[in-house]
Amino acid sequence: MTMFTDPFDAKTLLSRRCACGGNHTPEQHLEATRVAASTEESWWTRVVDAAVLRAVFPHDAQRRLFLRTVGASTAMAAISTVFPLAIAREAFAQGGAPEKRDLKVGFIPITCATPIIMAHPMGFYSKHGLNVEVVKTAGWAVIRDKALNKEYDAAHMLAPMPIAISIGAGSNPIPFAMPAIENINGQAITLASKHKDKRSPKDWKGFRFAVPFDYSMHNYLLRYYVAEHGLDPDKDIQIRSVPPPEMVANLRADNIDGFLGPDPFNQRAVFDGVGFIHLLTKELWDGHPCCAFAVSKEFIAQNPNTYRALLKAIIEATAFASKADNRKEIAKAIAPQNYLNQPEIVLEQILTGTYADGLGAVKRDPKRIDFDPFPWPQFAIWILTQMKRWGQIKGDVDYAKIAADVYLATDTVQLMKEAGFTPPDPTRKTIVIMGKPFDASKPEAYLQSFAIRRS
Amino acid sequence: MATLKESLALKSALLSVLLLAVFLGLWQLAAQPAASGGTIVDPEYAKLVGQAAATGSKTPMPTPADIGVALWKHLSDPFYVRGTNDKGIGIQLAWSIGRVLAGYLLAAAVAIPLGFLIGMSPLVYRALDPFIQVLKPVSPLAWMPLALYTIKDSQISSIFVIFICSIWPMLINTAFGVASVRREWLNVARTLEVGPFRKAFRVILPAAAPTIMTGMRISIGIAWLVIVAAEMLVGGTGIGYFVWNEWNNLSIANIVSAILLIGLVGLVLDQMLARIARLVTYPE
Amino acid sequence: MERAMISVEGLARRFGDHGQPAVFEDVWFGVEKGEFVCLIGHSGCGKTTILNVLAGLDRPSGGTVIVDNREIDGPSLDRAVIFQSHALLPWLSVLGNIAFAVSSRWPRWPRAKVREHALRFIELVGLKGAADKRPAELSGGMKQRVGIARALSIEPKMLLMDEPFSALDALTRGMLQDEVLRICAETQQTVFMITHDVDEAILLADRIVLMTNGPGACIAEFVVNTMPRAERQRNGLHRHPQYYAIRNHLVEFLVNRSRAFDREIAEHGYDSRRPRTVRPGLAAINPAAEVVPLRHAN
Repeated sequence: MTMFTDPFDAKTLLSRRCACGGNHTPEQHLEATRVAASTEESWWTRVVDAAVLRAVFPHDAQRRLFLRTVGASTAMAAISTVFPLAIAREAFAQGGAPEKRDLKVGFIPITCATPIIMAHPMGFYSKHGLNVEVVKTAGWAVIRDKALNKEYDAAHMLAPMPIAISIGAGSNPIPFAMPAIENINGQAITLASKHKDKRSPKDWKGFRFAVPFDYSMHNYLLRYYVAEHGLDPDKDIQIRSVPPPEMVANLRADNIDGFLGPDPFNQRAVFDGVGFIHLLTKELWDGHPCCAFAVSKEFIAQNPNTYRALLKAIIEATAFASKADNRKEIAKAIAPQNYLNQPEIVLEQILTGTYADGLGAVKRDPKRIDFDPFPWPQFAIWILTQMKRWGQIKGDVDYAKIAADVYLATDTVQLMKEAGFTPPDPTRKTIVIMGKPFDASKPEAYLQSFAIRRS
Repeated sequence: MATLKESLALKSALLSVLLLAVFLGLWQLAAQPAASGGTIVDPEYAKLVGQAAATGSKTPMPTPADIGVALWKHLSDPFYVRGTNDKGIGIQLAWSIGRVLAGYLLAAAVAIPLGFLIGMSPLVYRALDPFIQVLKPVSPLAWMPLALYTIKDSQISSIFVIFICSIWPMLINTAFGVASVRREWLNVARTLEVGPFRKAFRVILPAAAPTIMTGMRISIGIAWLVIVAAEMLVGGTGIGYFVWNEWNNLSIANIVSAILLIGLVGLVLDQMLARIARLVTYPE
Repeated sequence: MERAMISVEGLARRFGDHGQPAVFEDVWFGVEKGEFVCLIGHSGCGKTTILNVLAGLDRPSGGTVIVDNREIDGPSLDRAVIFQSHALLPWLSVLGNIAFAVSSRWPRWPRAKVREHALRFIELVGLKGAADKRPAELSGGMKQRVGIARALSIEPKMLLMDEPFSALDALTRGMLQDEVLRICAETQQTVFMITHDVDEAILLADRIVLMTNGPGACIAEFVVNTMPRAERQRNGLHRHPQYYAIRNHLVEFLVNRSRAFDREIAEHGYDSRRPRTVRPGLAAINPAAEVVPLRHAN
């Protein structure tokens, strides 16, 4: 198995670690060996199968148990009923021609959108026969409305947004699929330069902070962080929703003391001498999600070939972006006015992880931002626990049900039950945030374990 | 008299130039990068941050000279297209003007006939008055989410927002102008047994025209104000999008050049309507 | 009964509730074809309202107006109105104002004919050089000339004039009065005019209708201007032997009698349908003629 582990092999370990044993992800491995691959078709078959299986069985042991019990072909048949695996593979392996070639994809100009954006100038879309227009959009509400109005065929969204759309918060419930997370990590807490010496959150009483959106990972991470240091985010500090470009201006004008926001605005604050990077969100939770690539299920049903070509381009771009050596080239490609409209040097620092911290030091952290397309249901559950923790949702939360509404995996669980198997528990992947593990199977207990909470 | 007038014009022009020069001079001085503490940082760090940040200060406000450079850059190549999100300022302005005209003309097409009816009938006037009074003060941008939600097209939504915000001054002024046509002029028409259409077009319309034009002038001003805000919200194209995009890049020089151009276009639109208004205005 | 060309029969007008007293009531009078009649009375007696009813611009609360044996039900091109405020359309030129009236009267006329017709009347009132001017560029007197030209241009059966010269200075007023006199002589117009200027009435009117004070105003009497039209010259009017007698009679009415007409009614009786007719001018030249019947059939 030189290309990629066969995900339908019961003996293989399917982890984020590459099967070759090296300390890199399978995608990186693939990227490295792709050029040498004799057939791209088989490469894509594996990627697709692995992506689906991993979504269905986050817990590797259960996947193996499942495959051993039913056999690979039955497993594939079962999964095919909920996810058109064969069609997908066929299409991915240069299947039918795209039904629709001219597409519009909306993005918010932040580095989280890197794969979506770079796929345009770097030719990932055109390689798959698509003529994609990437359209810069002014805000999350607008991108949501334009996606719902079908002005956009696909869009860049905050990871919690598909959850919000599927529970009908703020819009009509419309089935939206989130086939890929775009980036992990990549956010930071930036403080005004005058707070150089107040590096402990204990000194932050009375600080005013900005986050991009109430329902964002940024808000939850900031609250989590200060609460872990004993500050009540609703009483001891102020948190307001501020559009990212205005964060730097507000910091400069001394209207806020700091922000937890998306890049490039953290690095931009350093570039303009307005603030310093207190810490990267990676230091809080390595591998946390932020933004997603979203498509309506209607679009998938009507344009399966186009959808596959598009997803293929995004996955390829994400794989390309996840490789450190490519980051400089990407920074150059997405800096112009047509895309992020930022100084190239700022983007380069964010993407390469070699950056000025605003305090006179150059820091190196190649994982400052990373790109990983796989959506874990545990993310959704963690987000829900924080929504409830801070009183954004009240009463009993049916975590499993909401996660089921958002993730295809739950459908498969149902099918397996009917076939007489014990379904795997998709919430068993553990997440560690600031040293505290999160067990997605016990969200209520997790919630109760916090001293500072609204519910 | 003529010489007095001329000298006044000359003096006021001189004063304007002087004020501008003083303003720009003060600005230039204020925007000079402050002599910093001269924190010496390592060259690798200095390469990664802006000029000012390397010496421990903040990036200063752009000077008038910076803005002149930015403005010249935009004006020397106003119609380039380098991608979906990167088009010349001339193209952005054309988009905005196009949207404003579309929404505005639609509003005029609705407001003037409707205002006519309202002005002619005290009954309709009273019946519609509460609605107009409630809807008129609604901030135009408050309509945007509703428009996006119901119309499901951001292009048409921004035209709708222009429509809805420019309709009220025209509607109210038309109704008021029509309702307050001098009784004696109507009596002239009556004693001459003038038919209703001839009366509407030959007597009421010209009589109310100055008031209607005032409404139209207020409306175009509002429409131009609103389009910038609406485009900042919806994005895509237009001068509002341009401002938002440069704001995103924190490029104050580009924003200020855009502000100057927005003001200029607004002035031209206003003057065009003022000219039309002068044509229909009659001395009494 | 043979009716006059205009016959005002039992006219009344009250504003507001029915409980309010009428401004005027039970008003009867007639205007013969070719006759120039002036109505004189104090402000508030409803003079202008009567004219508006005649013009068809206002509706009476009671009574009717019969013109050419037909009850009127609205404005008509047969009855041209000259407004006190001249009421020119300020956005049209002098020619435009008159052409508007002409083309309203004869909608099928070609443009050139309308223009030619309008210019004829502009010339008639002596404004030949001002045809292309806007009303705002004209003096008050010139504006009223345009008003007169507009009224005459539609060749109406009668002219209704509402204090047409009251807003003008004395000199202009005099010149316009001469003009009206000349034009009426040329065109044999039937004219009904409102005024409160005694001299104007004596100069222009063949018969003067005196109205008592409101509320509840009525026609007190008719004063026949026994000075022949040909002898009425503005410059020499005050030297005419009948002038002072007529003038004194009118002034006496306006100053004293109009207030206390109730008493006269109580003393002499009053038939609203046939107010008495007096000829004070004749008395001045022939005292015998002063024997005026209290009741005089029209």
